[in-house]
Amino acid sequence: MTHEHSDGYVPEHTPRMEWAKLAPEVYKAMLQLEKATRQGTDPGLYELVKIRASQLNHCAFCLDMHTKDALAQGESVERIIQLSAWEESRHFYTRRELAALELTEAITVLTEGFVPDEVYERAAAEFEEAELAHLIAAITTINAWNRFGVSTRMVPGHYKPAAQGNAS
Amino acid sequence: MTAQPRTLELPTEFREAMQQLSAAAKRGLGDPVLAELVMIRASQLNRCAFCLDMHLTVARKAGESEARLDLLSAWEESTGTYTDRERAALALTEAVTVLTEGFVPDEVYADAAAHFDEHGLAHLIALITTINSWNRLMVARRIQPGGPAWT
Repeated sequence: MTHEHSDGYVPEHTPRMEWAKLAPEVYKAMLQLEKATRQGTDPGLYELVKIRASQLNHCAFCLDMHTKDALAQGESVERIIQLSAWEESRHFYTRRELAALELTEAITVLTEGFVPDEVYERAAAEFEEAELAHLIAAITTINAWNRFGVSTRMVPGHYKPAAQGNAS
Repeated sequence: MTAQPRTLELPTEFREAMQQLSAAAKRGLGDPVLAELVMIRASQLNRCAFCLDMHLTVARKAGESEARLDLLSAWEESTGTYTDRERAALALTEAVTVLTEGFVPDEVYADAAAHFDEHGLAHLIALITTINSWNRLMVARRIQPGGPAWT
């Protein structure tokens, strides 16, 4: 949302660059990546993964988009709010979702050390091989969108979800 | 302790899209020497053994010097080893790779923008994003180094 200065809110920033226009072939490949990911990933779970990775990577634009998409798909406000503390609110989620969230964190925070065997094993116990491959693809894809969003400082607040949240 | 390999194939269409992303980013940047330095530095930060093996091999075969490869993880203290343009790109690589510790600082972005035009900068960001993606795909599936003979 856009606020007048008189509201006391700081003015909205502008993006650093329009990367999709400057690099259209890259953008096209990113859309292909997104499409390939979506084909094998449960939409509700995918939004939870996207929100959690976007929280870890501090991508404001991505949080704006994916919380709205999740709500539009019927996700509960409570499950979205609890997401950044899921370890302490496990009963809000299924075992499968918890395993996916744990894997999301491990793959997102690589700089602090690998993907532990127990995390990988828990995910492998909940997801069949093809599903697990798509889950890893999904985590990688949102991490990529996060990097474009943060580095080019895309502006949050303007996203409007489609009826069935089909944007990236 | 030996790391147990995991065997998991990437979905075909996803892998193909990743290859398109790589090709588009590298083509747009148009600087293969810099591209390898960026990809090696990101792979160091993300601790991707497969990616380090691949990109160090490719860089050596392309004639990159041992000194520039050896000092890459200490590039800030290695004055005279890298150009100002390369240093700006490496600083941006680190900022975009380590997002979990907080954003991409204005001064890092501004320094990169002083050395690259918008088109180049957009593709540099794309390349950093791409290698970060490969790092994730390889580390998560624990793909081992020492694979094919890189050309």
